[in-house]
Amino acid sequence: MKNIRLTATLLAGLTVMTGHSLAQDLSDKQLVRTLGRVEGAAPAIDIAILVQEASASAGKGVASLPHWQNLSKLSQLIVEIDFENDSVAIEPKSYRTVGMIADALHHPNLQRYKFLVVGHSSSTGDAQHNLALSQKRANAITEALSTTFAIAPDRLFAVGVGQEWPLDPANPKAADNRRVQLINLGLVR
Amino acid sequence: MPTRLSAVTGATLLALFFLTSISRAETISFADAVTSLATDCGKDIKKHCSGLNLGSGKIQSCLEKNAAKVSPTCTATLANVTASIKQRLAAQSSFASVCEHDAAQFCSGVKGEGNVLSCLVKAKRVNERQCGQVITDAGWR
Repeated sequence: MKNIRLTATLLAGLTVMTGHSLAQDLSDKQLVRTLGRVEGAAPAIDIAILVQEASASAGKGVASLPHWQNLSKLSQLIVEIDFENDSVAIEPKSYRTVGMIADALHHPNLQRYKFLVVGHSSSTGDAQHNLALSQKRANAITEALSTTFAIAPDRLFAVGVGQEWPLDPANPKAADNRRVQLINLGLVR
Repeated sequence: MPTRLSAVTGATLLALFFLTSISRAETISFADAVTSLATDCGKDIKKHCSGLNLGSGKIQSCLEKNAAKVSPTCTATLANVTASIKQRLAAQSSFASVCEHDAAQFCSGVKGEGNVLSCLVKAKRVNERQCGQVITDAGWR
């Protein structure tokens, strides 16, 4: 619960600062600073376990995602990236957000870190379908980052969690729940 | 004689203008580059490349394949965007080698590429050199 509130606070803070589009108006320096705060006690994240947990718990909610809770302890940003309906195609109006992430990840302060892109959906539609689509969309973002913007692919990981971890648990169908988390996973080994 | 002088001045000014516009293109961020792509090609992308992702050159090859139908502004922008992304990547990857000497001279003992960069940015004399230009072109000021 505390973790979710923390995320919501971060989102609220960014919303106040930037209006509608969260990452759109954040400066490159702010992105780099936010993503670069690394705590000594950051937990190690096993992505295979995250994927396993998400696919075993489609429709069951955040309570059945114990390993996912660890992600809240890592430095991260929430961004809005819009896709065409039921598709992996990023809407042109969201290209800028992907470009901003690329600018940040290429900065020397972040160059040694690897990042997890997490795709979230709202609860509109079938839970299994939402899970699969959010995974494909997270993949599409890392693909764009690693090809168009030449971020080394070994620094990028993608997972989808579908509708299971809403930002606004009281309104799981709300559009705010559709979002992308960009999480610093620590040093590339 | 005055005519020749003014011709030379004109040519110099023209060359300067040209150089300035080139170096300005070099310092475009990835965000600004793809924003101009979205602005100038958004409609064409929605119309001709629906369902395709930005990654793996799919949008680029789709727009090129449909060049006959795509707006001329978009075609021009696509070429500029592709070039400016390349230029920025080139500047960023040349940082380590171009600034190696300055880093040793002005920032010896500083550890970590991020810390070396902030040290170099603060060092006045670095900014007059090639390393300073690379930092600017990389977008790291």
